[in-house]
Amino acid sequence: MNTDKYKHIEDHQLLQHFYADKNNEWLGILLQRYTLLLLGVCMKYLKNEEEAKDGVQQVFLKAITELHKYKVDYFKSWLYMIAKNHCLMKLRDKGKHPVEINEQHFLTPDETEATIKHLEKDATLTNMEKALQLLNEEQLQCIQLFYLEKKSYQDIAGQTGYPLLKVKSHIQNGKRNLKIMLERLQHNEQ
Amino acid sequence: MSNDLKDILSNSNKDIDNQQLMDYLSNQLSKADSHAMEKDMVDDEFMNDAVEGLQKMEHPKDMQAFVEQLNNDLHKQIAKNKNRKEKRSLKEQPYTYVTIIIILILVVISFIVLKKHLDAKNAQPPANSKVTAISNLQ
Repeated sequence: MNTDKYKHIEDHQLLQHFYADKNNEWLGILLQRYTLLLLGVCMKYLKNEEEAKDGVQQVFLKAITELHKYKVDYFKSWLYMIAKNHCLMKLRDKGKHPVEINEQHFLTPDETEATIKHLEKDATLTNMEKALQLLNEEQLQCIQLFYLEKKSYQDIAGQTGYPLLKVKSHIQNGKRNLKIMLERLQHNEQ
Repeated sequence: MSNDLKDILSNSNKDIDNQQLMDYLSNQLSKADSHAMEKDMVDDEFMNDAVEGLQKMEHPKDMQAFVEQLNNDLHKQIAKNKNRKEKRSLKEQPYTYVTIIIILILVVISFIVLKKHLDAKNAQPPANSKVTAISNLQ
């Protein structure tokens, strides 16, 4: 099946087509949009190219089977959870890695998006400035360089001397902490 | 500045462009595009994990070949399942096929019986030919 001609169709539309006629070819078009990302996720956790390839194939099969059983609304987040859980189970079976369970596993994309929208709507710049000052030094430095000075990870790593992965985690954790602090500040105001 | 501050909370949920991702991994994107890509990664755990994993690949040049192979296998698997499903649907409806076969057999039998009956009828001499034969004898 030539998949280029389906480029204009959004993920959720492809899913609707699949739910209408149960033809797996729709899933083929949809899943192959994520092959590269899935390969990367499997590679991150399994750390072996052959195992990562096997992992992607198993995630494909699992996704096809599960999509026949129930309706999925947020395909991308759902597929990511399937892939991540598959890799963590593999690692647990090998005894290499304890299964990482964090709050992300219990948050549905619906809740995450709703929280973020709520925060975006209510956040005031004053609170944002206050919240920024509450971040630790590394996170504040990385957030400012990344969002305000628009530097790339590589540039920030060069400028601060932090390793690249640390820079990424300071930005991600900093952003998460900012959201939490803003929520607290707004809660205190009410 | 204020827009940049607001930007921290924005949550871009753009769809991934595989080619752009490959270009990012091979450092072929401009600074602005790399920054845009990294901003997407902060909001997108899927993409963030994927980039970390792809950066660990021993042979980054094989990435495209791996993806193509996986996609081909996926489509082959789907086509195989489709054929199997079609075959299974034949097995799942035996009564339909048995009924069709019985009807065909009945049609053939009816045809043979009718044909024999007609042949037998044609083989009998007509009644007036019998009268002519008797008058000839006299």
